[in-house]
Amino acid sequence: MESDPILNLLHSNVTSPLNASEETGEAPVVQIQELSKVYQQGEISIYALNRISLNIAQGEFLTLMGPSGSGKSTLLHIIAGIDRPSSGQCRVQGIDVTKLSESELADWRNQNVGFVFQTFNLLPVLTAFENVELPLLLTRLTSKQRKKQVLTALELVGLADRMGHLPRQLSGGQEQRVAIARALVTDPQLIVADEPTGNLDSNSAHEVLDILQSLCKVAAKTVIVVTHDPKAAAFGSRSVHLEKGELAN
Amino acid sequence: MSIGGFILRNAIRNKRRAFLSVLSVAVSLFLFVTLLVGLRELTQPPHDTGSAARIVVRNKISLGNLLPSRQKATIEKMPGVEAITPFTWFGGKFRGEEVLFGQFAVDPKVLLKVFAEARMTFEQFEAFEKDPTACIVGIKTCEKYGLKIGDFIKLQGTFWPLDLNLKLVGIYKGSIDDRNLFFNHRQLDEMPGSTGEVGTWWVKAKTLDAVAPLVQEINAAFSNTTAAVRAETEQAFQLSFISMWGNIKMLVLSICSVVVFTLVLVCASTMSMAIRERFRELAILKALGFRRRELFAFILAESFGLAATGALIGVGGASFLFNQTEIVVNASQNFLIAFEMTPRIMGQACVVAAILGIVSSIGPSLSVARMSVVQGLKTLD
Repeated sequence: MESDPILNLLHSNVTSPLNASEETGEAPVVQIQELSKVYQQGEISIYALNRISLNIAQGEFLTLMGPSGSGKSTLLHIIAGIDRPSSGQCRVQGIDVTKLSESELADWRNQNVGFVFQTFNLLPVLTAFENVELPLLLTRLTSKQRKKQVLTALELVGLADRMGHLPRQLSGGQEQRVAIARALVTDPQLIVADEPTGNLDSNSAHEVLDILQSLCKVAAKTVIVVTHDPKAAAFGSRSVHLEKGELAN
Repeated sequence: MSIGGFILRNAIRNKRRAFLSVLSVAVSLFLFVTLLVGLRELTQPPHDTGSAARIVVRNKISLGNLLPSRQKATIEKMPGVEAITPFTWFGGKFRGEEVLFGQFAVDPKVLLKVFAEARMTFEQFEAFEKDPTACIVGIKTCEKYGLKIGDFIKLQGTFWPLDLNLKLVGIYKGSIDDRNLFFNHRQLDEMPGSTGEVGTWWVKAKTLDAVAPLVQEINAAFSNTTAAVRAETEQAFQLSFISMWGNIKMLVLSICSVVVFTLVLVCASTMSMAIRERFRELAILKALGFRRRELFAFILAESFGLAATGALIGVGGASFLFNQTEIVVNASQNFLIAFEMTPRIMGQACVVAAILGIVSSIGPSLSVARMSVVQGLKTLD
């Protein structure tokens, strides 16, 4: 493990703001109770999520699996605070995110959640460095502090030497690693990834999952990954299956 | 990376569209200010320092009706009058064509007193006074037609049944309009069949305080005669003369309104397109923690930036063209003599540009505000 450059960096960066909180309380990081999401189509109610209850512990690598339309992405979006449930409670680090206003939720996301998307979603006009720096523009960090933090994040994913490249000059795997660096740069407790390996070849997918796993193991980040791929799910410490908006296991 | 840098990158990401947008704003604002400057030129003619002390006396019925020359003696005797000259428009063809410089019959002896701004040598004034067939011409017309002292200028009468052959004895400059030709009124007075009439009287008051009472006195003096007059200051005369342009003013203002309205549509459409194709990116920014007000500020800044750049090029270009060069004056063959961009017009154009930037950002901002992150990601995924 010590030969892994990413893990080495995680170990050695004791002063880095990216280091995980030392908190390891008993309470789960994510507490979901009776969570439902209903879409109304005329007279018909479609349950994307139906009274889901689930706890996720700190440092856990949880994979959400299930067929298309099973509600796994919806659940992920609600946990990450980019969608709202129809009913139920979703507490993340003790805060009920369903009760926050739009503005409070935006601040909360910036400080507590890192996003990784299937299609990378890097801004094409910005370099890798600038893409990673984006979330930090909302903080009060100085330019120098931001630079240090971005470089650390890029080093963590092994792309410090590509920081000046535009997304179109990077491979899919590299783009996704930049996206992970962007997710990490504010040092959030929670990292959510929606099909992060869906657009990658097996080698790149392996690299990306390795990084996510390392973040759990070494930095005690809580990682939630939505995936169809059983191989990807094998990287997780726990796997939850959803079917028709309900937990299958 | 700064926020400003981020906005700039977005604004110029599609260089062709950004260029065309800026160009459309620049051209439209150029047209807008050109129309306003043109309107100002037509409705607010320049006046010099002496104009405040000058009174124009014309027939009360209309400018086309002439005045009897006997009125001169009555006006001349009034207290406060420094000088009086007949001032009759001739309107002849020069070199067989209609020309843009005015031709006026005046009294050479008092011309300098009434129009003290015009500069000419004493010898030239003397020659003008002495020779009834002499004329003096403004330097702009002389330069345009290549006229020089000693040349003969033939004017073919169109309104008056008379052709003139005038000797150029003086070239003046320094007046507000260095284009006109002045000749001795005797040419008209001694014309066969002449009844001794003049177009207008131009009166120079001794002091500015004397102007108002003098206007009243002149009006009263001829109120019960067959040729009642309307006396007014030179500036009032020009404005009443220009009031005949009323419909033109409305037309120009209508065109200005259409230009501005079209401009708003173009900019709003451009911004809508620019934002629509970035919906996913804006959704990502929202996911990363950017709030509505920050996204609104980005859009506003981008829209404002495009409008401001367009304004800088369009208004700045017009300002340079009109104020620093003689292109318009030359292109209009000296018809437009003071085609000048004023700070007021520049301010109006800048306000239009600012409104443009704000209005065109409203639609896209509302769309982005209404968009949820999930919706934004799904729309383009």
